[in-house]
Amino acid sequence: MIDRHGRIRAPWSPIMAAIREIGPEELARRAGALNRQMGLAAPLGTVPRSFYDPLPVLLTSGEFAFLEAGIKQRAALLEAVLEDLYGTQSLLHNGSLPPALVLGEPHFLRPMHTRGRLTAPRMALYAADIIRGPDGDFSILRDHTGIVPGLGHALSLRRLASGTLPELFRAGGIRSLRPAREMLVDHVRRQAEGGLVAVLTGGATGPGAAVDLADDALLARALGVLLIEPGDLAARNGGLHMKTLNGLVSIATIIRGVSGIDLDPLEQGGRPGHGIPGAFGAIRAGVLTMLNAPGSALAAAPSLRRYIDSLFQPMRGEHPILPAAAENGAETASKAPFVTGANYTPVPICFRLFSWHDGETWQMLPGGLALPLRQPADHAGTQLPAPADFGLKDLWVMEAEEPRLTTGAPAAPEPPEHVTFLAAAHLPSRLADNLFWLGRSVERLEAASRLLMLALPRLESGTSLPRDIAERGLLTRCLAQARLLPAELAGTSVSGRLLRQTLTRRHPMAGLLKEAGRLVNASSERLSPSMLSTVRFALHQASEALGNEETALPSMLNFAATFAGIAAENMVRDGGWLFLEMGRRLERGETLAETLAILLDGPPERLEPGMALGIELADSVLSYDLRHAGILAPAPVFNMLLADAGNPRALAYQCTALRFCLERLGADDDAEAARLLQVETVNLAGTPGGLRPALSGVAGKLRMLSDRVHRRFFTLLPEAHTLDEDEVLEAAQ
Amino acid sequence: MTLYRLHHTTLYDYAAPVVLGTHYMHLLPRDRPGQTIREAQLDISPAPETRRDEIDHFGNPTTTVAITGAHKQFAVALSATVEVRQPPPPAPEDTLRWEAIAAKALLDPDVAEYCLPSDLTTPQNDIADYAAVSFLPGRKMLTGLLELNQRIFSDMTYRGGVTSNATTAAQTVVTRIGVCQDYAHFMLACLRALGLPGRYVSGYLRTLSPPGEARRRGADQSHAWVSSWLGPDAGWVDLDPTNNLLVADEHVTLAWGRDFRDVSPLRGIILGGGRHTLKVGVDLEAVLT
Repeated sequence: MIDRHGRIRAPWSPIMAAIREIGPEELARRAGALNRQMGLAAPLGTVPRSFYDPLPVLLTSGEFAFLEAGIKQRAALLEAVLEDLYGTQSLLHNGSLPPALVLGEPHFLRPMHTRGRLTAPRMALYAADIIRGPDGDFSILRDHTGIVPGLGHALSLRRLASGTLPELFRAGGIRSLRPAREMLVDHVRRQAEGGLVAVLTGGATGPGAAVDLADDALLARALGVLLIEPGDLAARNGGLHMKTLNGLVSIATIIRGVSGIDLDPLEQGGRPGHGIPGAFGAIRAGVLTMLNAPGSALAAAPSLRRYIDSLFQPMRGEHPILPAAAENGAETASKAPFVTGANYTPVPICFRLFSWHDGETWQMLPGGLALPLRQPADHAGTQLPAPADFGLKDLWVMEAEEPRLTTGAPAAPEPPEHVTFLAAAHLPSRLADNLFWLGRSVERLEAASRLLMLALPRLESGTSLPRDIAERGLLTRCLAQARLLPAELAGTSVSGRLLRQTLTRRHPMAGLLKEAGRLVNASSERLSPSMLSTVRFALHQASEALGNEETALPSMLNFAATFAGIAAENMVRDGGWLFLEMGRRLERGETLAETLAILLDGPPERLEPGMALGIELADSVLSYDLRHAGILAPAPVFNMLLADAGNPRALAYQCTALRFCLERLGADDDAEAARLLQVETVNLAGTPGGLRPALSGVAGKLRMLSDRVHRRFFTLLPEAHTLDEDEVLEAAQ
Repeated sequence: MTLYRLHHTTLYDYAAPVVLGTHYMHLLPRDRPGQTIREAQLDISPAPETRRDEIDHFGNPTTTVAITGAHKQFAVALSATVEVRQPPPPAPEDTLRWEAIAAKALLDPDVAEYCLPSDLTTPQNDIADYAAVSFLPGRKMLTGLLELNQRIFSDMTYRGGVTSNATTAAQTVVTRIGVCQDYAHFMLACLRALGLPGRYVSGYLRTLSPPGEARRRGADQSHAWVSSWLGPDAGWVDLDPTNNLLVADEHVTLAWGRDFRDVSPLRGIILGGGRHTLKVGVDLEAVLT
């Protein structure tokens, strides 16, 4: 922002004025807000705390025009280099590149070396990291020709920053990213010819963990395409398919967020779960396009870097517009101010600009990112950006001051047709599985909290009235059934103190909460940002309250209620919701049947304590009192807890809800099983007592139904394994 | 000239049905100087849903098949007619000095990668020391090769079942035991330790038991040996360290690469199947000599 004469570069003036007006404290606060928002927009909570810096970096229209020409020229060259090295290899034969260097490079993927060209360019996405030297000249610090990192951030940051720091945008004159983004989406979709487009990420954990999962997820969201993991894919009939609830759906184009090395275990070896067997063959056959093709990272290999500039003349007949930066270029790169608390720290930066090939020519994103180059003290010497220290910046490209000449320029492309976004049928099995278990896990947490809230005060008050003794016995059995107490204590009467000690020792609630949190993260791509933020906030509050006896259980219930409310009010009753709902209803039904089997066990004259606990556990005291003036009798109690179709905590209600979901999913035989179970529960309400065996039977049938749902929807394909080569050897020696 | 009729069958029996099998194979023989494929075909049963025949980076034919529909057997049968007419190798003393070969090889795009370490042939110090004995400064390339070939043959013990496809040259130099694949990897690591080119060659060896001579090991089975480079004019020459041979007309080449992993005959990913058994049968018959 400061030129070599120490003056603020012209386009900065209105921004600096706006920043002065906001003031440093307010700016720091806004920075915090921006990062919180980004943390919510990016699923899975993978964004480090201070990931974004609110101050943009500016490029004038003239500077951008110059960089655009240089980047397009370089992209075209690097693409040509890749086509050559993966084709005729004339660059090796004519001595332009040392053969041993290229052939010894790990990113040279032999399976992608083909006689003819692929149907799509090997490199159609490109990003360049550019620095500005002390003399104002731009040069290339690094190329990104394989995985193109940061595009997801670049497409999302502007949208969020304009809401957080509207003052900066008031002066106007910034080129919008939207037309370029729509052109990119349009191009990718047209190229896919109706097939699915997806961003392939390595996922949050595991051996092929994503380089930047948040980036992949943001990119998928910004482009309106699927986010998938290698395990979601299966090779069939030479093509690549995604496992969905409706079976296998063909994938035409993949934006690759995972390395090409070890991508295809069929041709490269390695375990099948860690890649996509058959991916290389599908690409060579032209039935799958990858942006970028595996092996394209070769063009950005550090070992080849110093040869690239010398290829412009022989291959393009041109001199490079943007030369490679000198070895120590990053040390003298131009600086930009970063917000650090209430201060600004000037830090050397590089600009990351993005380009893509639309089938005819290279297109530019009129914006991008600025990345800090300074290293934390203990990493001095390396020149990798350290975004965690200072954050990524939005890169603004200013409009030309005079209206740009449009004569002679190609007409703006038609706005892309509206494409239906992610039909419910395309729900990956993995996500349905996660949502199912999320439903179960939240319900499990709620049931445990309710039981503990009921049990703790009653076990504390140690009167020896027969009714109290009976109540404590029943509660102990329920607690053991819910695995909140060891099974061997089931037949005894446990004191409140012992229960507390057990809970402190075994942390069952913390475990349940952690599992719910994990599944919220794993399902986050199907929860809207606002839902996610509300659920995460409630989850956070519940975790904070864990150590506090007074607030722990109410906070858990608050989380469960928040979650249920959001699922009921904010989710369309289709696709993902159906699985969340089924998980929830199956869990509640099983727990209810098992608990009532304990509470409603015994002859009618001794049922009263159990009935009272049952009504309270089902949160139905008020309704019961209103209807029956508080007089406990088996028939009305059984009716309310078992048969009442209007009571969301009655057993029959769970069966009805399950039937609805299964019918919607076309699982007619399982829906029929749910209907029969519903009839059975309603009939149970008419029996005089001794419900234990019947209710245990219902719980067992619900578990069987759960197994069937699992087999039907989630285990679509058996696990893949490699044929053992050692046996081939024994015969081949 | 020798004309061979070659049959190679591979049969997998699965304990449980396989619902989807995808297989990537190096099972069709390649042309090379001294070897012409007159006719070759690969029959696959059950009939694959898709089949792609391609040429890989090294010039080897590959076949990729996908078999859908439950099956309990998977069979691949190669039948080929191959003409072998190896040109006689140059006299060792007429070949270039090994240092000159190393220098030229690194700059030749068709040879350079065979001088570089691979997963199974990464040279260690002890391998370099072993190799240096045969390649004293100024030695002619083929002289060194023949001596190295002979030393490995003498120093190794041939025994099946003690090594696997994952056994590296670094392990073999210590144990000095194994099968043809281990002999070949050991020799390749020696060459690469000195920056010399070496290819892993997979193929077959003719069954021939002349009276009074021991039956050759690897006969009528898949075999593996080494190919090295004598420079741009003399080209490649093949050596079989398992049998201490300079390869002539008794070897039929299937494929070559940097090591076994590049030419693994059959690699598959299957869904289902449970346990399986494997039967391999090779028949190499000289029909015309």
